[in-house]
Amino acid sequence: MLNTETNKQEIMSTGLERNSSKKQLNLSPYLYIGPHLVLFGIFFLFPTFFGIYISFTNWDLIGEPDFIGFTNYNEILFNKDSTFYEQLRVGLGNTFKFVLFTVPACIIVPLLLAAGLNTKPKGLKFFQALFYMPTLFSVSAVMIIFSMLYSVSFGPINHYLNSDTNWLSTQPYAWITLVTVTVWWTIGANMIIYQAALNGIPKDLYEAASIDGANSVQKFFSITLPSIRAQILYTVVITTIAQFNVYGQPLMLTKGGPTSSTTVLLMYIQENAFGSGISIAGIGSAMAVILGICIMIVSAIQFFFLRQRD
Amino acid sequence: MKKKAVLMFSILFVIVMSLSGCSSSSSGSSKNEIVFWNVFTGPDGQDMQKIVDEYNKTNPEFKVKNVSIAAGDMYSKIPTVVNSGKGIPDLTIVHAERIKQFVDANMLTPYDDVLVDFPDIKADNYVPAGWAIGDINGSRYSIPLDVHSFVMYYNKGLLEKYAPNALDDNVVTFDEIKEAAEMSTKDGIVGMGITWTRPTFLSIYHQLGGDITSDGETPTLNTPEAKEALELLKGMIDNKFTNKDGEDPGQLFKSNKAIFYPEGIWMQNSLNEVETLDWGITSFPQVSADKIVNWTSSHQFVMFKDDKRSDEKAKGMMDFLNYIRENSLPWAKAGQNPAALSTLENPEFKELPHSFLIEDTEMQKSLKIFDYKYNGFVAEEIDKLVGDAIFGKLDIDEGLQKAQKAVEDKIAANNKK
Repeated sequence: MLNTETNKQEIMSTGLERNSSKKQLNLSPYLYIGPHLVLFGIFFLFPTFFGIYISFTNWDLIGEPDFIGFTNYNEILFNKDSTFYEQLRVGLGNTFKFVLFTVPACIIVPLLLAAGLNTKPKGLKFFQALFYMPTLFSVSAVMIIFSMLYSVSFGPINHYLNSDTNWLSTQPYAWITLVTVTVWWTIGANMIIYQAALNGIPKDLYEAASIDGANSVQKFFSITLPSIRAQILYTVVITTIAQFNVYGQPLMLTKGGPTSSTTVLLMYIQENAFGSGISIAGIGSAMAVILGICIMIVSAIQFFFLRQRD
Repeated sequence: MKKKAVLMFSILFVIVMSLSGCSSSSSGSSKNEIVFWNVFTGPDGQDMQKIVDEYNKTNPEFKVKNVSIAAGDMYSKIPTVVNSGKGIPDLTIVHAERIKQFVDANMLTPYDDVLVDFPDIKADNYVPAGWAIGDINGSRYSIPLDVHSFVMYYNKGLLEKYAPNALDDNVVTFDEIKEAAEMSTKDGIVGMGITWTRPTFLSIYHQLGGDITSDGETPTLNTPEAKEALELLKGMIDNKFTNKDGEDPGQLFKSNKAIFYPEGIWMQNSLNEVETLDWGITSFPQVSADKIVNWTSSHQFVMFKDDKRSDEKAKGMMDFLNYIRENSLPWAKAGQNPAALSTLENPEFKELPHSFLIEDTEMQKSLKIFDYKYNGFVAEEIDKLVGDAIFGKLDIDEGLQKAQKAVEDKIAANNKK
């Protein structure tokens, strides 16, 4: 072990000398990104490519994966009789629904809050901290709190509404609950970005608009929004990707119910690859690859449309 | 500058190498230590730790190192460590339902060779249901720690008021529950709580003569018995004999608003925390008093294959298992029924409420472990099916068909080459 290490180092250093004699190779940049590059390789690049490879195999996590070509993809994409085809259809459908329901709210609510805070109200720091706080909680803590709040017979929400609505296992309440919880939980990150962006807008633009007789709504749409378009683009893409990877909220709050109407794709992927039965990692990986492709396509479309307005 | 860069690169390299070196060596066991993995992360983890500490105090040649890992994490970790051959635990607690699957994947070492020196670890000294699980293809792959059953608690005061004669024959039938509930619902008292749907359904299914597999290979979920079991539960819900959908049956029972509360024997310590509650325990409700079924599972000791494990260490492990066999009382107090029968001789054990399940051999026969190679697939589908079906959100026939199909497809996907 030690020997090979010194050998490697010798090879490395001789290689460096040879190179540097030809032209000045500056190592410092690599040095700075080195630690990250190593971690990126171990925890991102390798698992990604390994996952793609697994999607072409039949593997139970034990023993060697058997290469079976496109069989898994065939099964989940085209075999209409298969349970896995149904899982992909239902799971992907629910994931898209979740993204559609949450992303607009996850952009608009933080933007309005940031715009409000930008008027420098009294207690600015307090409200800033208050709105940012939920982001710091772990998903399980948040879901436990909300499952208590929404509890049918003992929850304060039903108590004050004076109803016995079953928030977690009847539709459309299950979706309403999931969306409100997610928005509440994720306000902070986007809000901070918008606040920084709003701070950067020159004040004279607003003054000029005031002189021209613009009201605050006009100012918001004509000055504020165009000025922070780059940040909105960034948050829309990042939020969309994050919401595509939804898992903890439906798993803990609604358990995918009622009748699988909130079971998102990641729950099926998890069930197949790491469920309580023998692992079907190949099918799980194939579903994950499909999900990845969907995220890439949607992000590309978003980039295209938001860039075009330039 | 250049030299500095090379130096820093090599430092980085060494750090990375040593980090990766660390991870493989630290989880492996040292020579005189038995690494013992288990799934006890709740309060039961402390009880297990106490047992291990007591054992280590006897100064055995091999001391036991207790490692508690959340069940989900442990089960996903096991294939990785067994595949890599590094950091394999010596002794591991797994659930009874998983063992066939591990044996099929050729991951377990049988106990047969080491058992020769420990004649007391034998069928006669254990509860039959727990012992039978480890006997696969003529070899012994596991030793049971406990048998934990899904039974029923009742509120003593409410039972006296609404169903004074229900317990005369020591069995509560569904008819008796319905009768009691018809009176109690008028006073706002729930007859029976709908709790964990999987054992609830499986118990009734087996009482009606059904099982999750016909021959150990083929799953049998879409059967008339399964339909009958779901309809029985749905009928109780439709008649408002149970809690409503979404209502927490545990809260109802703890606040004296439910007569019957089917739950696991492991829940009793949390019921004891409620001072205003006077509870008793009996078998799970039955369709007929003639054939009693109590859904049961079991924690079992297994040895995952490890070429580096010495014979001496294996003997040390057996010594620990033999110790557990004779000293299971702390585990019984944690709310489990020890699988070792020697605990039965202890008067302290007989005072524990759940001891009734293994005290006489007739009751031992009521313990049913649903042992099937593809149990995990069945469990996943039952969890999706039962709640929705009995609360009327899913057509029973359609749900059963879907569940049967899903299990078959998963089995097929698993055997595909």
